[in-house]
Amino acid sequence: MDHLSELENKSIFIIREAYYRFKDIAVLWSIGKDSTTLLWLCRKAFFGKIPFPVIHIDTSYKFPEIYAFRDEYAKKWNLDLIVGKNEEEIKKGMGPTKGAKLDCCNELKTNALKATIARHGFKALLLGIRRDEHGIRAKERVFSPRDENFKWNYEDQPAELWDQYKSTAEEDNHFRIHPILHMTELDIWKYVQRENIPMTELYFSKNGKRYRSIGCKPCCSPVESEAATVSDVIHELETSHTSERAGRAQDKEDAYTMQKLRSLGYM
Amino acid sequence: MTGKTENKTPKVLLVGLDGIPCTLIGDYMEKGLLPEFKKILGDGFALHQMDASVPDVSSTSWTSFMTGVNPAEHGIYGFTDLKPGSLNIFVPNSRNVAAPAIWDIIGKTANGRTSTLHRDYSGAFKRPLRSIVLNIPQTFPALELNGILTAGFVCPDLRKGTYPEKAYDYLNSIGYLSDVDSAKAAERKDEFFSEIFLALEKRMHAYEHFLRNEEWDFFAGVITETDRLHHFFFDAAYDAKHADHEVFLRFYGELDRVVARLYELFMDMTDGRGLFLTMSDHGFTTLKEEVYVNAWLKKEGLLNLDGRKEYFEQIDAGTKAFAMDPARIYINIEGRYPGGSVANGEKEGVVNEIKERLMKLTNGEGRPVIREVRENRELYSGPLAGKGPDLVCLAHDGFDLKANLKKDEVFGKGHFNGMHTSYDAHCILPKGVEITKRLHIENLAGIILEHLKNGTAA
Repeated sequence: MDHLSELENKSIFIIREAYYRFKDIAVLWSIGKDSTTLLWLCRKAFFGKIPFPVIHIDTSYKFPEIYAFRDEYAKKWNLDLIVGKNEEEIKKGMGPTKGAKLDCCNELKTNALKATIARHGFKALLLGIRRDEHGIRAKERVFSPRDENFKWNYEDQPAELWDQYKSTAEEDNHFRIHPILHMTELDIWKYVQRENIPMTELYFSKNGKRYRSIGCKPCCSPVESEAATVSDVIHELETSHTSERAGRAQDKEDAYTMQKLRSLGYM
Repeated sequence: MTGKTENKTPKVLLVGLDGIPCTLIGDYMEKGLLPEFKKILGDGFALHQMDASVPDVSSTSWTSFMTGVNPAEHGIYGFTDLKPGSLNIFVPNSRNVAAPAIWDIIGKTANGRTSTLHRDYSGAFKRPLRSIVLNIPQTFPALELNGILTAGFVCPDLRKGTYPEKAYDYLNSIGYLSDVDSAKAAERKDEFFSEIFLALEKRMHAYEHFLRNEEWDFFAGVITETDRLHHFFFDAAYDAKHADHEVFLRFYGELDRVVARLYELFMDMTDGRGLFLTMSDHGFTTLKEEVYVNAWLKKEGLLNLDGRKEYFEQIDAGTKAFAMDPARIYINIEGRYPGGSVANGEKEGVVNEIKERLMKLTNGEGRPVIREVRENRELYSGPLAGKGPDLVCLAHDGFDLKANLKKDEVFGKGHFNGMHTSYDAHCILPKGVEITKRLHIENLAGIILEHLKNGTAA
């Protein structure tokens, strides 16, 4: 079997197992390339119709192209779309340009997701994160049974699906499942090419610039690039060495830092 | 023991043990809980009590360790600071460290940064020496050095926190954890315990890999998990009836083995002639009550906040002073901050008034809270003294000072059961290293440089 089919099979297996195991499950969709690929895989896993809700956490600061893409494909793919929004904080004026930007991600993403999970009682979430993506994500790992000495027997893990979950700091009581954890940025683009998966135009060069990673408009900056098509992007990735998230704002790191400091009683 | 000029293997191995108190090591050795530490001491090493930096937070203390100078030279006064001339909070990172670290001095990568220590040693090394620096706080993002570095707390991105890229690839491949998830400690402690054991194991895995497979002259590896364990469970350290006492001891048992393993590897590599040392950046004691300094300043009428804003931008007209974590007090001087309301001439009066009132602060049972209030000029000397706090408070053991702006009551208690101490850090050094006065964390860089210099001069 070729590399991409192998990756696809692995992801589809995880998605089906997750659905089989949890009734109250949803998939998180940021409209970015990874979660859109995840959505594509979910559609393939269930022959075109995803049998569970798709959550979009809306900070109200996303690119207009993101909203347009979301609405277009929610309709085309017949998605059961749930939009999660922290209306209260948005009303209060929370935003990345407000004096202290450090709480913006926390309020508008983390807390909005928390509330959405609580409201709908989801027991598990499918997430499109990849291990090679970001330092914080590298910590996002597969979880294995613990022995009585509180040790993970990580070197001798049985190769089974339920090693793959990891709950995180911010949301309690639900499993997080990462069906594309094993893919790299380049795998994603090659798969996008093979499957002809639609992607928001933000990823493709306009006037010498494109976005390599997308999120909220005020906190993302484009990278210099002439890559105007999926094959251009693949070529660019094969020949460049800059970090994928180089265009994401400092604020994201700062937000993480603040959360860490708070967890130790500072701030 | 350390060898002086005759030493042909000048290597230095430093094991940093975040927040391990000197008294705890002594007590645990006496109880037979740290057999390997005891063996090391039996090989000709001495355990010293050591002073941490003031304030005794990891970012400041580790920076004082790695640069060998005080905050007025290195510029790091805490995890957070304010941008010059403003009330905007920011998180200083490695780029804000104004003095070169040990590895910059020996590796000749100071790149324009200098310090009193740097001036003493910049000409001491004929060839640039190579360092492996693992998990020292306040080193994110990783700056170029002659060697390898992976940043300690806070490291929001392991790739950016590691130099060079190849070292990142290795760490990523073994699932190295730059930190555990402390937020779990209160709610899901089993998971938290699992993580600290796992993180320790990963660190040992990585440290041994670099120790064996890389060329180096100076190797520093820090264990952070002790600090995390202590913050939440220090009350279990001595209390045999405590539900988590056994896990606490088990972690120390594991740590004892990890330190011994590094020690033995190093002694084998250097035929027993390298300089081995362990140290901590501060001590720990049991936390009884949290004390919110800004709530106290509010009650005393010295601080006014505008709740519609955030963090320090809330500071409103008429404010005389405010505090940043843990208990750095800044006088709201005209011209230094927007809306500053204390004229330069009035500053001394305000300082004295705050000192006097703080020393009278007592808790609900009438116990005095503050041990000492120290002024900037008593603590700091160097070009960046002006960036520092005007006052720093040190509390009696049990009272943990915090600068949370959201609290209204002066006293409280959360889920933290341990607090830092400034006087009970530890250092284990060969007896051959002459110590003439009480050790301070800023002294260690000089001891290390002296050893490397004597070794390479031969």
